[in-house]
Amino acid sequence: MTTGSTGNPDTTGFLYPFIESEESDVGALLGDLAASARSKAAESARLQQESLHEYDDALRAAGAQMAERFLRGGRLYTLGNGGSSTDAATLASLFSRPARGRPVAAWSLAADEAVVTALGNDVGFELIFKRQIIAHARDRDIAVALSTSGNSEDLMTAIGEAKQRGLLTIGFAGHDGGRMAATDDLDFCFTVHSQSIHRIQESHAMLGYRLWSVAQEHMAAARAGAS
Amino acid sequence: MTTIPAPTFVGTDLSADLATAALDVARKFHDGATLWVIAPQWEPHAHHVAVEFVHPVIMGKRALPSVALVESDPVAQARVASQPGDLLLAVATADDAAVTDAMRRADAWGVTTLWIGSGPRPPAGAAHHILWVDSDDPMVPATGRFVLMYHLLWELTHVCFEHPGLLTTPADDTQTCVTCSDEGRLAEVILPPAGAGREALVRTARGEEWVDTAMLGAVDVDDLLLVHGGVAIAAVTAAEDEVTP
Repeated sequence: MTTGSTGNPDTTGFLYPFIESEESDVGALLGDLAASARSKAAESARLQQESLHEYDDALRAAGAQMAERFLRGGRLYTLGNGGSSTDAATLASLFSRPARGRPVAAWSLAADEAVVTALGNDVGFELIFKRQIIAHARDRDIAVALSTSGNSEDLMTAIGEAKQRGLLTIGFAGHDGGRMAATDDLDFCFTVHSQSIHRIQESHAMLGYRLWSVAQEHMAAARAGAS
Repeated sequence: MTTIPAPTFVGTDLSADLATAALDVARKFHDGATLWVIAPQWEPHAHHVAVEFVHPVIMGKRALPSVALVESDPVAQARVASQPGDLLLAVATADDAAVTDAMRRADAWGVTTLWIGSGPRPPAGAAHHILWVDSDDPMVPATGRFVLMYHLLWELTHVCFEHPGLLTTPADDTQTCVTCSDEGRLAEVILPPAGAGREALVRTARGEEWVDTAMLGAVDVDDLLLVHGGVAIAAVTAAEDEVTP
């Protein structure tokens, strides 16, 4: 790819700054794109660090409680819609088949299209997760719900059901936390303070990774202490 | 935990790679491409890329065709799905066998390739655009770094759509043979020669064509060949992309 040339500057060009540059100056666009990428990436990194710092104590406590439940045979269910459903699946995979450490039972409740479409079609989309909680959950299990708005109805109904059944309930929210920040049904709510859905999701991943790290530390320590 | 200075996730080189990739992706979408996504080790990443383009999180942005290919044989899925002019994005380590195989076939399918990953890099030229996290930490795929990478790709691609004058793909200046105006092109066998015949149906970036395979030994379905002027002049082997006449 060659860099576009603006050639001879027109004396009146300053009156129409976009006509020439937008149509021919590939180099300028690539420069702008690269600068934008660096700026957004820096914000992603900053927000991750800020979120980890803000929730340090709660992440340690939540990770420890997760480990205690895993050691009693507890399972992790992750919940989310859209991009957050894929992040929920990545989080479940991190727990169930980590590149290192001890695997534990975990899966995304959005992963099975037969179950999701059956529930969505028969009982309504807002119940796609709650009905699965009713079917699967035992009191030693864990539910982690991811929503950048903190308001998703299907997550809120499932969280309420999970709390009632004695699960450890954890929410990852964004913006101002929405309904997740206000509900008593969540034992822990981690709100990433950003207006960007993209940046929120990137921090959710890091918070989930931190929970996993803490849980792994505790499970390793529990094994060492038991010997 | 004390506050740690935020690390640099995207430096100068990677930001330039992302910019170039985004413009290419925007141009291909502009010309009607579908973005196929494979991530054999981390299927959720493939789904995330697809939903990002199909259902943008920012109101008013164009919905673009993108599909996650997550069946057990992603190469077979990508082969049948992709058409010349399409895009193929992989999220995978450099040693992923299926992705490596798909990437080496991409020229025959006529697709533009992007490869997102971490750890040791794929060899230069293994994909048209290599967007890499240079870290040996095997946990990178779960920390949001890949999510950031394809979020940035999506965001920059949509910036390009605000510059319609730059979406026209530059004329292809590929070197061609002086005697026949053709070039050595990668082809994948669709129908091998039947019976005593020596004509095989192959697909190349230009579409399907019949070529003479008399210069070669046995030719099977999905074999990669180098074709030139209607003749298969070499088989391209899987191991090292070596050309064996």
